[in-house]
Parts: sequence; structure tokens; C-alpha cells
Amino acid sequence: MKFAMRLTATAAAMVLACGLSAAWAGGAGFGDDDDDSDEAGPSYFGFVRDSSGATVPNAKVTVSLKNRISIVTRTDALGTYKVPGFGRETDPKDIEVSCDKEGYKQLRVVRRSSPSTDPKIPVETECTLQRI
Amino acid sequence: MSKIVSSLIAFAAFITVAAWSGRSVAQTQFGDADAQPAPFNPQMAALMSMLIQPRHAKLALAGHAENWPLASYALKELRQGFVVAARAVPRWKGLPVPDLFDAAVDQPLKLIEAAVKLQYKRQFDEAFGRLTEGCNACHATTDHAFVVIKVPSASAFPNQDFETKR
Repeated sequence: MKFAMRLTATAAAMVLACGLSAAWAGGAGFGDDDDDSDEAGPSYFGFVRDSSGATVPNAKVTVSLKNRISIVTRTDALGTYKVPGFGRETDPKDIEVSCDKEGYKQLRVVRRSSPSTDPKIPVETECTLQRI
Repeated sequence: MSKIVSSLIAFAAFITVAAWSGRSVAQTQFGDADAQPAPFNPQMAALMSMLIQPRHAKLALAGHAENWPLASYALKELRQGFVVAARAVPRWKGLPVPDLFDAAVDQPLKLIEAAVKLQYKRQFDEAFGRLTEGCNACHATTDHAFVVIKVPSASAFPNQDFETKR
């Protein structure tokens, strides 16, 4: 009898699952983009600009976890850098960003605060360079 | 006992088949004809295909033909397309879309605007090349470097004449 009940429950679950997947397929989105973001803590992203506000490609960006590790990268053609998350347990407040390029000195580093708590949104830090 | 089990299996199978056949009548893989219209919510890929890529091509064709009134119109439409896309999807994969658009296309669009006003084709061509580079730089930043935009070599709009009417 238990077996029979289990079978009935399985059948009911199948029916429910079919219904839910059909409802899901009928969502309002159009051309939903793929989303392969992981959730290993927030990533780090930002622009490097010069003092006029223009973006600076190929600038060196160092993203450091206090007294532990540093990741060095370079800005791309758009003047942006991206560094993956240091893990969920890492407090973004412990992460420091600096930038550098030959012929420039670092003027300021500003972290942009986002009202969203979405973990997919990276911690944004803008670094400004000034020509020497 | 076995009869009860058989009956339950048959009942479960009937329910499943009935549910599926009911779905095929009322709802297909494309949705339910009797459902309320859903809000149209195109995401970034669709917005690019609808609002940006064709307008980028039309701007190039108008500039190539030195049809400056049409180029001015196409430029305005393209710029508005970026505004609409950034408002519809302000963050994409977590990245700030308005900032990316600004970094990628603001300067080239301004240069194109000046070239169109001056009716200066050489500057238009240079600025349009920079605009296209900006598109591809943004695609690279957003891990879509495989979407390569280029200056169109032919019209994809056989029902539109891009030549200037004198």
C-alpha cells in the first residue's frame, strides 16, 4: 500500500512539474540572455580614467586583499578592469584598488556605492590618473 | 494488493497523459493563446538586434551616400536606441550599461555628429570606424568578443534608397 501511495505521489509530482515548467516557459521575457555568473562573492569592476574623464586603456590595476594577496590586471580597450570575487567570506571593505600607468600618477580612487544587494553586481571602484 | 497497485499506476498514467494533452490544446511551447498579454520585456541581445545593429548599418549607408539629412536622422535614432537600451537594461550581468555605452560610443557619436553637420565624409568615415571599434571594445568587455561588428559593405535594406534625392 505504501508503494502504491508513493506511486501516486510520484505521478502527482510529475503532473505538477509539467505544469510548472509550462508556466515557466510562458514567461514574459523576450530573448533572455544567458546568465553564467557564479556566486563566489562579489567581483570587482571599474573604469580607469584620466583627469578629463576619458577612459585609460592598458593601465595597470592592482586589486589587493589586505596584507594577503594581490591580483594585477590591465584595463581593456574600453578602460575597464574586472577581477573575480575573492570568495563569499571576504568583506569587500578589505579590498583595495589602485591604478598606475607610465606617465601618470594616481589621483584618486572612488568606490561607487550601489543600493542593490544583488550579489551579481560587482563592487565598482573608479580610479583616476593624472598626467605627470 | 496487486490490483490496487495496477489501478493506481493506470490512474497516474491517465492523469499525466490528460495533463499533457490538455496542455497541447491550451498552450504550446510558445505560450497560451488565452493568456493575458505579457509586458514586452526584451533583454540586451534583442535590444541590440532591434535598436542598435540596424541603425548602425543605416547610419553607415547614409554617410557613405553622403545623404546628410538621412545620416543626421539615423544618428539621432542610433543615439536614442542606446538610451532606450540602457534604460531598459541598466545593468547587464551586473555591469553598468549606461557607463559602458558612454565609454564605448559617446566620443565617436559626437565626432559623427560634427562630421554630419560639416558634411565632411572623410571625418564621417573615421568617426564611424571609431564607433565600430567602440562597439567591439564593449563586446569584449562584456565577454562577447565573438560578436564582431564591422562597417557594412552592402545594404541589408533592399526596400530603402539611401542615395540623396536632388
